[in-house]
Amino acid sequence: MRRRTPLAWFNLTYERRRLLTAIAGVSFAVLLMFMFRGFENALYDSQVQLLKLLNGDIVIVSSLKTNMFVPEQFARRRLYQAQAFAGVEGAYPLYTTTAFWKNPVTKRIRPLRVLAFNPQEPVLPLPGIIDNADQLKLPWTAVIDDRSRPEVGPTEAGIVTEIAEQQVRLVGSFRLGTDFASGNGNVVMSDQNFLRYFSVLGPDEDRRELNTVDIGLLQLAPNADPIAVAQALRQGLPQDVHVLTKAEFVQQERDYWRENTNIGFVFSLLTTMSFIVGIILVYQILYTDVAEHWAEYATLKAMGYTNFYLLRVVLQQAMFLAVIGFIPGCVISGMLYHVTASATGLLMQMTWGRAINLFIATLIMCLISGAIAVRKVQATDPAEVFGA
Amino acid sequence: MSQSITISNSVPEVNSQVEPCVVQIRHLDYYFGEGELRKQVLFDINLDLPKGQIVIMTGPSGSGKTTLLTLIGALRTVQEGSLQVLGQEIVGLSKPELVEVRRNIGFIFQAHNLFESLTAAQNVEMAIELLEDWGNKRQKAIEMLGQLGLADRVHYKPTALSGGQKQRVAIARALVNQPALILADEPTAALDKKSGREVVTLMQRLAKEHGRTILMVTHDNRILDVADRIITLVDGRLETDENLDQFVTTRDPQTLDRRMFMM
Repeated sequence: MRRRTPLAWFNLTYERRRLLTAIAGVSFAVLLMFMFRGFENALYDSQVQLLKLLNGDIVIVSSLKTNMFVPEQFARRRLYQAQAFAGVEGAYPLYTTTAFWKNPVTKRIRPLRVLAFNPQEPVLPLPGIIDNADQLKLPWTAVIDDRSRPEVGPTEAGIVTEIAEQQVRLVGSFRLGTDFASGNGNVVMSDQNFLRYFSVLGPDEDRRELNTVDIGLLQLAPNADPIAVAQALRQGLPQDVHVLTKAEFVQQERDYWRENTNIGFVFSLLTTMSFIVGIILVYQILYTDVAEHWAEYATLKAMGYTNFYLLRVVLQQAMFLAVIGFIPGCVISGMLYHVTASATGLLMQMTWGRAINLFIATLIMCLISGAIAVRKVQATDPAEVFGA
Repeated sequence: MSQSITISNSVPEVNSQVEPCVVQIRHLDYYFGEGELRKQVLFDINLDLPKGQIVIMTGPSGSGKTTLLTLIGALRTVQEGSLQVLGQEIVGLSKPELVEVRRNIGFIFQAHNLFESLTAAQNVEMAIELLEDWGNKRQKAIEMLGQLGLADRVHYKPTALSGGQKQRVAIARALVNQPALILADEPTAALDKKSGREVVTLMQRLAKEHGRTILMVTHDNRILDVADRIITLVDGRLETDENLDQFVTTRDPQTLDRRMFMM
C-alpha cells in the first residue's frame, strides 16, 4: 500500500493491442540489431575459428602469407631452425590446400580445404581428430568437418568417395565450421596421405611436398615468454618467414578482414539503422499515448504534479517497453542464430556480452524516444484544460 | 443563505479582525499577447472570497471568467496587481512555487479528465500521493468516494461509469486532500440535468460541512441556487456581485432568460 500508483505501467498495459504492437516493434528492432551484430561477428569470428584452435604458442608463416587466403609456403627447415631456440619445445608443420570433394550421394564436386599434419602431433586437438589418430595413419583415409555445407554430403565414418579424383575413406568426423577461405568445409588427413594425394598431380597443377609448410606451430616450454621467444625468432630466422605469437596471428587475420572488407562498415550502418528505426517506432507509440492522455496529464500538472514527475512516467513507460520488448527479441534472435549457424556453418554465437550490450542499446533507444515524446507533456499548459 | 454581502464593486475594506479571506484580489489587470497584439482581458478586478462561501461566476463568453479562474488557480503568472490565495501572495512567484500553491487547491474541470487505465480509487489516490501520504491512501480514497455515493464503484474503471459518476470521481479527486479552495470550471456542462443537479448538491454539501470555499464558473442557470453569491464578469470587468435573491429579483424572468441565452 505504501507504493505510488504505477501510472506508467497501467497506462501502458491498458490498451492491449497497442501494447502488443509496441512490444512487437521493440522486439523487431532488437532482432535486427542482434542479427546484424551476429552476422558481423560471425564473419569475423568464423575467419579465426581455425586459427584459435591450432595448438601452438608461436606461429610461423611465409612472409607473403598476410591472410589465410594466400597459398604461400615456407621451407620446412625454418621449423628445424626454430627448434634450436631457447624455450621452443616442439615445432609442427601444418599443410593446407584446396581439393575437390565428391559428394558420395549426388556425385557433385565441391572444393574443400584440406588440413594435413602428423596425427601423432597435437596440431589440431579436436575430439574427432584425436580419437581417430590411428585410423588416420592408414593410407587413403581422412576425417571430415561435420559442419561443412550440406552439399558436401553425408559425413559418417566408412563412407568411400573421392578427393582430388582419388579414392578416400572417411574414418570419422570433427566439428569446425566454414569461413571465407573454406566456403564449403574442411577435411583433415595425415601428412603422409597429403603426400599421397597431392604430390602426384596433373602437369598443370602445383604439386605439394612435405618440404614446404603452410603454417608452422611452435610449442614453448611452460615458463617461456611467447613474446620474448617470438622476438628472438624474428631476429634469428631469415626474413622469408613471419613469426607471430598465436594472439598476434589471430589478430592479424581479424585485422585483415576488418581493414580489407566493408563488413564492419556495412553491419555497423545496418545496426545503427535498426537502432533508429527502433527509436521512431517507440516514439510513435509513446507520442500517441501522451497525445491521447493530454488532458489527464495537464490535470495532473494543475493538481500540482511537476514536469519531472511526468517525465518519469513517460520514461518509465519507455523502459518497460525496452525490457518487455527485449526479451522476445533476444529469444527469437537466439533461435535464428541457431538456424543460421546450422544452415551456413558460420559461427553465430549469442554471448552474454552482446546480449548485455544490446540490452543497454535498447534501453537507450527507448529512453531517447521517451525523451522526445515527453516534450509534448512538458509543453502542456495546465491553464488550457480550463474551458477546453 | 441570506447573508449580507457588499454589493458595491469598490475595494472592500481590509479588516484585520475579520477572518482572512481565502482569496483576496486587488487591482488585478491581465493581458494576453505581446507587443502590438497585447490585449487587456481583465480590468482592475477587486474581489474577496471569504471562507466557506460558494461563489458562482457567470458572464458572457469571452468575458475573462476562465482567465480569472486560472489566475486564482496559480496556473498563470499574474502580471499586475495583487492576488493572495490562501494567505499567500502569488504575484512574482516562480513556477515551482506556483506548483506548491496549486497543491492546496482542488480543481474540477468540465471534462472529468480521469485516467481510463486507473480505477476510481486509483484516480483519487493520484491526488493523495501529492501529499506524500502513503499509509492509508486507499482507505482515504474509498471514504471520499463513499461520501459521493460511489462506495460500490470504487474499483470500477471510468469506462464502466456513467457521466455523472465520472464527474463525481473527479470531484472526489479534487476534494480528497481537504483543500480550502475549490475551483470548478463548468462542472455540469457535460452532464444531463439530473446528474448535474446531483453533482452540485454534493459539492455544496461537502463544502458546507467543512467550510470550504468554492468558486465555480458556469453557464448553467439550473444550478444557480447553490450559490451564496453570484458575480458577473462582463468584458473583463466585475459588473455585479450579489447574493442569489438579489440576482433573481434584479432581473425579470425575460431579462434573465435573455442573459442566459447570451451566455
